[in-house]
Amino acid sequence: MNSGREVSDGRLTVEGFSVAARAFADKWKIHNQSFPPWSWVPLINRTLHLSNQQEEGYLSLEEILILSSLEESPEDESLNVATDCLEKEESVDHTILNQENEAHYYDFHIVYSSSYKVPVLYFRGYCSGGQPLSLDVIKKDLPSCSVSLLHESKWTFITQEEHPYLNRPWFKLHPCGTEDWIKLLSQSSISTGCQMPVDLYLVSWFSVVGQVVGLRIPLEMLN
Amino acid sequence: MSEKETSPTILQFAPLNSSVDEGFWHSFSSLKLDKLGIDDSPIPITGFYGPCSHPQVSNHLTLLSESLPLDEQSSVASTSHGNRNKCPVPGILYNTNTLESFDKLDKQSLLKAEANKIWDDIQSGKALEDPAVLSRFLVISFADLKKWSFRYWFAFPALVLDPPASLVELKPASEYFSSEEAESVSAACNEWRNSDLTTDVPFFLVSVSSDSKASIRHLKDWEACQGDHHKLLFGFYDPCHLPNNPGWPLRNYLALIRARWSLETVWFFCYRESRGFADLNLSLVGQASVTLASGESAETVPNSVGWELNKGKRVPRSISLANSMDPTRLAVSAVDLNLKLMRWRALPSLDLNVLSSVKCLLLGAGTLGCQVARTLMGWGIRNITFVDYGKVAMSNPVRQSLYTFEDCVGGEFKAVAAVKSLKQIFPAMESSGVVMAIPMPGHPISSQEEDSVLADCKRLSELIESHDAVFLLTDTRESRWLPSLLCANANKIAINAALGFDSYMVMRHGAGPTSLSDDMQNLDMNKTNKQRLGCYFCNDVVAPQDSMTDRTLDQQCTVTRPGLAPIAGALAVELLVGVLQHPLGINAKGDNSSSSNGGNNDDSPLGILPHQIRSSVSQFSQITLLGQASNSCTACSETVISEYRERGNSFLLEAINHPTYLEDLTGLTELKKAANSFNLDWEDDDTDDEDVAVHM
Repeated sequence: MNSGREVSDGRLTVEGFSVAARAFADKWKIHNQSFPPWSWVPLINRTLHLSNQQEEGYLSLEEILILSSLEESPEDESLNVATDCLEKEESVDHTILNQENEAHYYDFHIVYSSSYKVPVLYFRGYCSGGQPLSLDVIKKDLPSCSVSLLHESKWTFITQEEHPYLNRPWFKLHPCGTEDWIKLLSQSSISTGCQMPVDLYLVSWFSVVGQVVGLRIPLEMLN
Repeated sequence: MSEKETSPTILQFAPLNSSVDEGFWHSFSSLKLDKLGIDDSPIPITGFYGPCSHPQVSNHLTLLSESLPLDEQSSVASTSHGNRNKCPVPGILYNTNTLESFDKLDKQSLLKAEANKIWDDIQSGKALEDPAVLSRFLVISFADLKKWSFRYWFAFPALVLDPPASLVELKPASEYFSSEEAESVSAACNEWRNSDLTTDVPFFLVSVSSDSKASIRHLKDWEACQGDHHKLLFGFYDPCHLPNNPGWPLRNYLALIRARWSLETVWFFCYRESRGFADLNLSLVGQASVTLASGESAETVPNSVGWELNKGKRVPRSISLANSMDPTRLAVSAVDLNLKLMRWRALPSLDLNVLSSVKCLLLGAGTLGCQVARTLMGWGIRNITFVDYGKVAMSNPVRQSLYTFEDCVGGEFKAVAAVKSLKQIFPAMESSGVVMAIPMPGHPISSQEEDSVLADCKRLSELIESHDAVFLLTDTRESRWLPSLLCANANKIAINAALGFDSYMVMRHGAGPTSLSDDMQNLDMNKTNKQRLGCYFCNDVVAPQDSMTDRTLDQQCTVTRPGLAPIAGALAVELLVGVLQHPLGINAKGDNSSSSNGGNNDDSPLGILPHQIRSSVSQFSQITLLGQASNSCTACSETVISEYRERGNSFLLEAINHPTYLEDLTGLTELKKAANSFNLDWEDDDTDDEDVAVHM
C-alpha cells in the first residue's frame, strides 16, 4: 500500500484512485454500518497502460431506498382478484396493493475522471418499477441542507452526462472545481501540512461531496 | 391427521412485483437494432430477485441489462453467480414489432406454456436440482424504438392448487422458534447467505434438531433429512415484507411439495432480511394444509394464473425513456450543458435565456452568412433565418462553411441548403430559408417589375419585424440600404459586416431615430442625434448607388483573403452577444478599446461594447471606432424614416429609381454644394483655416 504517497496538488493518479477507493470502502464498512457497503466494480477490456497490477474500476453503492415520498398507507386489503379470462375465479389470490412507485431507489458510483484527474460522483434515482427520476423529483428527496448547498456553493453543481462505462445519462457532480477545493482541504489539514495522504483522499472528498446528495459520513472516518 | 384450527382460512399470497432497470431497455434496444431486426422469436432472459430487505418495502423481480443473453461489448464485468441479492431466475421475453401484435398476443396460452415448463421441472426433478426454476416468469413487450417508449407486461406463472391450500397459522419466526433455536437458525441462514455457492439458491430446507441446532440443506437432500430432525421447514427467499402474507414464490413451492412428497401439512419459512442479516422478526413461519391430488389429477397440469396488475388493473405497464435515449434530446442537453459550464465557471452573470430565445435574420448566406450562422449556433442560438437569392456555386463550398460539393451538383438554393446544413449539425435548430433578392437603390426597375419589387420590400419588412437581430451580410453596399432603413424604422438590432480584399469592418447600428420617447420630439435634433450611434450609411456623403465599378474599402468586392470572412463573421456574432447581454441593448453606448475599465465592465459581463471594429490583415491590426448618427443619413436619419413612414411604397420606388432623391431629401445635395462653394471661397480669401463642422 502506498500510504507514504501523498497528494499535494489536489489531483489523483489512476493508481492512487484505486488505493484511495479501497481505503474509503474499508473505512465506510467499519464506521458507517447504517448503510450497505460500497463495492468495487472492476473494468475489463480497458486498453490502458497495464504496467501495474492495479485494476481499474469504480465504487458502487446501489439501491439506497428513500421512503420520503411514501405515505403511511396501510396495506390496502382490496380483494380485487386477478383472473385470466378463462381461469376459474381465483379466490386464493389476494391482491394486496403494495406501495408501488412510492419508494425511490438511488444508485451512487464514484468514478475516476482521467481528464480532470479527480474522482467524480455519479448518481441516479428510480422508482420501484424502474422508471428513472428527474432531477426535480430527486431534489425533493434530498435533505434541505443539501439543496441549499447546491444553490449557494460555487464548487458543486449537478449536470447530466453520459456515464463513462454504462452509456446512459446519469447525474453527476461536475468535477471542474474539485482540484481547487481539495487543495484547500489539504492546506487546512494541520497534521500533514499541505499534503494529503492518498488513502484519505476519497474520505475527505466524500465528506464534502456526500453532503450534496444527502450522504453524510461519520467523523470517525476522517481519522 | 394434523391438528387444525376450527376454521382455517384460505392461504393468500402477496403478488410478486416487477422492476425493470433502465439499463435493460437500453441493452434491449441495442440488441434489437443491431442483431435482431424484425425477428420476433422469444428471447430467453434472466430475472433477479432476493429476499425482502426492508420492513416497509417488498423486493421485486428485476430485469437488468445483464438479463439479456450475453453480448461481447460490455466493458463492465457481468454479474457473476454468487451475488446475494440477485438470484437468477429463468424467464422468457416475447417482444412484438407492432402495437397491434402486442395486443393480439394470446396471453393465456403463453402463460400456460410457461406453467407447463414449471410443471415439467417439478415432475422431472429438475426443480430439486435448481429450485430457482420454480419462479420462472414471462414478459411480453412492444419496444417503440422511434419514440423510445416501451410497453410491457409481466406474468409470474403460479400453479393453482385445487382445492386451494389453507393456512393453519402464521407468525413471525422469532415467535415460532425458541430463542436458542432462533439463534441457530439465524446463524445457519447467514452462513448460507454468505457462501457464494448457496447464496443465490432461493429454496432450501431448514432442519432443526432436538438440541436446537439448525442446519440448512438443499431441497434435493430431503430424503436424507428424514428422521433426524425435530422440526423441518420448507424455507424460501420471500421478497414480500407483509406480516400477514407470504410471498408469491410459495405457490409453486407448495405445488412442488405436494407433487413430489405428498405432504398434507407443510411448515414453511418465509425468509426475510434486514441490513444484510437474517431477520427473524420480519421472517414468518406458517403451517399450510394441502389437499393431496388423487389418481389421475396428479398427472395433469394444474391451471395457472399470474399476470401482473398495474395499479390494480389488468393492463400492461409502459415507460418512456426518450429523455435518456433520444439522440436529439441528448444532443440538446449536451449543448446546453456546455453553455452552462461557461456560465458557471467563467461568467456567472451571463444570461443564457436571452440567447436561446433570440431570433436572428441573416441577410446573405455566403461566406459571411455561413460563418455567422455557425458561430451563432456555438452560442446556443437556435432560431436562424437565411435570406439569399443565389444558388450554391462550385467555388462556394471551400469558403462557405455550410455547403458541400453535393449542394453545387444539385443546384441548391443557398437559403435552402444552409437550413439543411444547420439541421444536420444540430437537429434542434429552428431554421428557415427565404429565396429572395433585396431591392436596392440605384438599380432602376421597369414598371412591370414594380409590383414584385414592392412585394419583396414588404416581405423584407415583415421578416425584420418578426426577428430580434438582423445581420447585414450581403455582398454590395447598396443592398444594405433598405435593410438599414427598415431596422432603424423598427428599432431592431442590426449588425453589419463587410469585407475588402485584406480588410474588414464590423459594426452595430445605433437605435432608430424614433426610439426616443414621444416627448423628446420637441428637443433639438442635433442633441438627440448625438445620443444615437451611427449606421453604415451615416458616414457617407453620397447616397448608395450602383457600384458596378470598383470602389474602395467595404464596397463591392468579391475577392477577399479567405481568413477574413471567418474573422469578421465571428466578430459580428460576438458583437451581437455583447449587445444582447448589455442592460441597455441596442441603446448601449459605444466603447473604444482604449476606454478606461472603470464603469463599463459592470454593464456588460463580456467586456467593452464597441460601435465599429475595423481591421487590416495586412498589418494584423484592429481598431475600434465610434461614430454618431448623422442628420443627413440616407438610411437612418429622422428625415428619411419619417418620409418612409408617411409615403411608404412611393418613397421606396423613388429611392430605388432615383438615387439623387435621397441626397436631395436628406440635404446632402445642399451640403455638397456648400462644400464646393466653400472651396472656391478658400482660394480667394486669406481667412484662417477654421475647420468647418462637417457632419461625418
